[in-house]
Amino acid sequence: MWTYIVRRTLYNIPVFLAIIFLMMAALRVSDPVAAQLSKNPTAEEIEGLKKEYGLNKPFIVQYGVFLKQLVTLDFSERSWDQEFTVSEMITKSIPPSMAVTIPTLTITAGTAICIGLVSAFFRGRVIDKTLMFIAVTGMSISVLVYIMIGQYWGAFLPSQYFQDWPFQVTVDGTVGSSPWYFFKPENWIAYCMLPVMINVTVALGYDTRFYRAVMVEESQKDYIRTARAKGASINRVMFIHMLKNAMIPIITRIMISLPFIVTGSILIEMYFGIPGMGRTLIQAINAKDFPVIQTFTALFAALFIASNILTDVLYALADPRVRLS
Amino acid sequence: MSIWTRTRTQLAIIPGLVALATLPAIAGAHYNELDSAEDKKIMQLPIRTDGPKSLDPVEGSSTYDNMACAQFYETLLTNKYAKPLEMEPLLLSEMPTTADNGTTWHFKLKPGVTFQDNACFPGGKGRLITPEDVFYSLKRLADKKFKLKNWWLVDRTILGFNDFKDAQNAGDVFDYDAPVEGFVAINDSEFEIILEKPVYRFLYILTMFQTAVVPHEAVTYYGENFARNPVGTGPFILDSWVPKQSLTANRNPNYHEVFYPERSEWSTADKRNRLHRAAGKQVPFVDRIEFTMFAEDQPMWLEFLKGKIGYSEVPNSNFTDAFDLVSKELKEEWLRKGLRAHSNMLLDLTFRGFNMEDELLGGYTPDKIALRRAISYAIDLDEINKTFYDGRRTVYDGPIPPGLEGYPEDGISPSGTRGPNLAKAQQLLVEAGYPNGEGLPPIRFYTTQTAENNAVSEMVKRQLAEVNIEFEAVFMDFSTMIENLIKRKSPMFGYAWGSDYPDAENNLALFYGPNSSPGANRFNYSRPEYDAMYEQILTMGPSEERTEIYIKMRDMVLDDCAYVGGMARERFYLINPWLLNCKPTERYYGWFKYLDVDESERK
Repeated sequence: MWTYIVRRTLYNIPVFLAIIFLMMAALRVSDPVAAQLSKNPTAEEIEGLKKEYGLNKPFIVQYGVFLKQLVTLDFSERSWDQEFTVSEMITKSIPPSMAVTIPTLTITAGTAICIGLVSAFFRGRVIDKTLMFIAVTGMSISVLVYIMIGQYWGAFLPSQYFQDWPFQVTVDGTVGSSPWYFFKPENWIAYCMLPVMINVTVALGYDTRFYRAVMVEESQKDYIRTARAKGASINRVMFIHMLKNAMIPIITRIMISLPFIVTGSILIEMYFGIPGMGRTLIQAINAKDFPVIQTFTALFAALFIASNILTDVLYALADPRVRLS
Repeated sequence: MSIWTRTRTQLAIIPGLVALATLPAIAGAHYNELDSAEDKKIMQLPIRTDGPKSLDPVEGSSTYDNMACAQFYETLLTNKYAKPLEMEPLLLSEMPTTADNGTTWHFKLKPGVTFQDNACFPGGKGRLITPEDVFYSLKRLADKKFKLKNWWLVDRTILGFNDFKDAQNAGDVFDYDAPVEGFVAINDSEFEIILEKPVYRFLYILTMFQTAVVPHEAVTYYGENFARNPVGTGPFILDSWVPKQSLTANRNPNYHEVFYPERSEWSTADKRNRLHRAAGKQVPFVDRIEFTMFAEDQPMWLEFLKGKIGYSEVPNSNFTDAFDLVSKELKEEWLRKGLRAHSNMLLDLTFRGFNMEDELLGGYTPDKIALRRAISYAIDLDEINKTFYDGRRTVYDGPIPPGLEGYPEDGISPSGTRGPNLAKAQQLLVEAGYPNGEGLPPIRFYTTQTAENNAVSEMVKRQLAEVNIEFEAVFMDFSTMIENLIKRKSPMFGYAWGSDYPDAENNLALFYGPNSSPGANRFNYSRPEYDAMYEQILTMGPSEERTEIYIKMRDMVLDDCAYVGGMARERFYLINPWLLNCKPTERYYGWFKYLDVDESERK
């Protein structure tokens, strides 16, 4: 297995380098300095900024410099837009995002698999149609609508009647400065639970439909009929036999979602005031803050490649018929 | 389903119910933490968007940098809280004086002003400010290490300063001890600044936060992290700054003597709002100030309605909830809640500019001017104002915003080309060589991608189509828009300018030839006679003669039709009953120190 992992990692290095190259080239199509200028800029100011940011050097040199930073894990370059280093910005932004995305992923996957199983089992009956109707409705409405309604009806309005209403409209100026602040249970309930509920509501529709399709396909297999014929209970058939055999697509779906744990959700973070990676990234993109965009893209690409390799390993663990070679 | 399965399902619900029931108790711990600070006067205020990017004055440029920096740093002069268009001394004991018509300015520092206590000083004790601190702070504007972002404020203004900048930036080390001819220290509290020639705006520059006084000890001590560790003379000391989230500060216990404006300074309307009640008292009144950054309007509005933040700008989408559309008065039910409204007309110019170097739309020949005027006459700004802004904007002729010298009576200038006047537009199209719009290529209009701009552009397209002018909006992000402007590639563009100081000269500079792109003259307007007049007004103080020149310059720009517009925005604020002394202004941000809270109203 280790040989396989090493080989896959080596195969992916050119892919990773190509991603970085293309991303850096795409970023440089327009001039980033324009976003950093003062109200009344001069040619001197523009040239000074280009020099300071290293944009006056040939592209290949800029590419080499960034690769060196990646290899040496040196993320001490200052953001062009904020008074922080790239590593500070990323390490401070990822935990708040994870406070929302990890519970979202966990709850969504768990619930969607259960609903998928139930739906598949009752395929074509009222319960299946009702669940699918709810799922499709959930995913058909924009997340922005959920946020607006959630903030008003879930946080603001109840707080007018119940003094100790747990959900807050947004993160306010009273909260702590530690990026792990949102992981304390009382803070998580106050600031993250409502965003998680909204995220789950939106994501559940997509996942449920997917898992239902997987389970329906699985439920038509011969071994299910055999298990039922041998007298296995419905619960055993569903949660032991069917679920185990459906693990490959489930693993694929979950592993694909894993890298997104660090990206956060732009709209949720902006509306609920969560100082996470989604907000940091969109701000960096708007400000053409290359050091942050480049580092984050590299991190995301690395995570994506790692999760792909891990997916293959998990396939082998879940299904002995899969051989890593 | 078996009985056992059903029972298991029912049992599984119990932990869920228990969890729900305990939520308020767990969340209560959050509130208990907050209650521990109950004996202090704490004021919660909003900052729109993601807040400041830097707490170093010389690196700041946005409103939000200003808002944050002004709590920690102070300038020699400031705006008056009761009359924000007027200046008063802040770090000075009196207004600067000049004996030679504005070339040499004499300054007296206010006695007893010390920097905030900080580890950067020996023994952690803040020291008295000196003239050297003022010179040092101004010299930082010239240091290329700080990107020269605000150099334009003092460029070609102070005697020998440009030479100093060039000499110091030529080498590897920037020597702050090197002399500048125009900086003359007389003693520990008095100094002079000599200008190259009288520049009237110089005093306004000294009110701007970028020229705030900083101690060299802090810059050295904190190095690259100075922009996150402000040490000034201001009323508040930074406690924490969580980017995109919050900024908190505690009262500076050693803040110098600054008193709330006297009763006589307040207008009758202000007195009706009891803004004079703290007259003559030492500020600041609160122990702690907590800013929350709001990237979106809805959370800010809901937090305001909950009473958690002291005031809020009224979002466009909520305007008619709170205000009567016709009278612009706060509705009765909101008044009954004890809320107070305040509105500010911004020193603001929003416009659709023409690139005077563009092959189709630029130029100064009669046919080119006729084409631009035809476009202007075909656009109905009042319809745009009514449809998209509930008529809250002020449409006016010329680049001088309402409230400043040179602003035309009722906003209407004889040189104005405000539409809709379709007959005139058609006649001008004939003069331009495009009768009935025939042969005229589409007008490409560059603007930023927002829902509002999309909708407004659709309306402009429809209006221009009435005279057969084809209008093509090109949407892009803000930095791409700036890039296009800098490279002089935008034929027509949507833009806005907020005056840096309350003098029409600041807006008239937008058409000064040497300020062409990449400078603030995005129109690339260039008329030697206009430039000569601009250079003349630079040296003039307020006078009838200067106002006459302002009017001439205004009308020259209108005659050439360098842009379509303009409009000035009006900001509406609502203030919670627990926030006292609040009169929001966007002219400067040193006014938070005058605010107070009434805890009894909050509870």
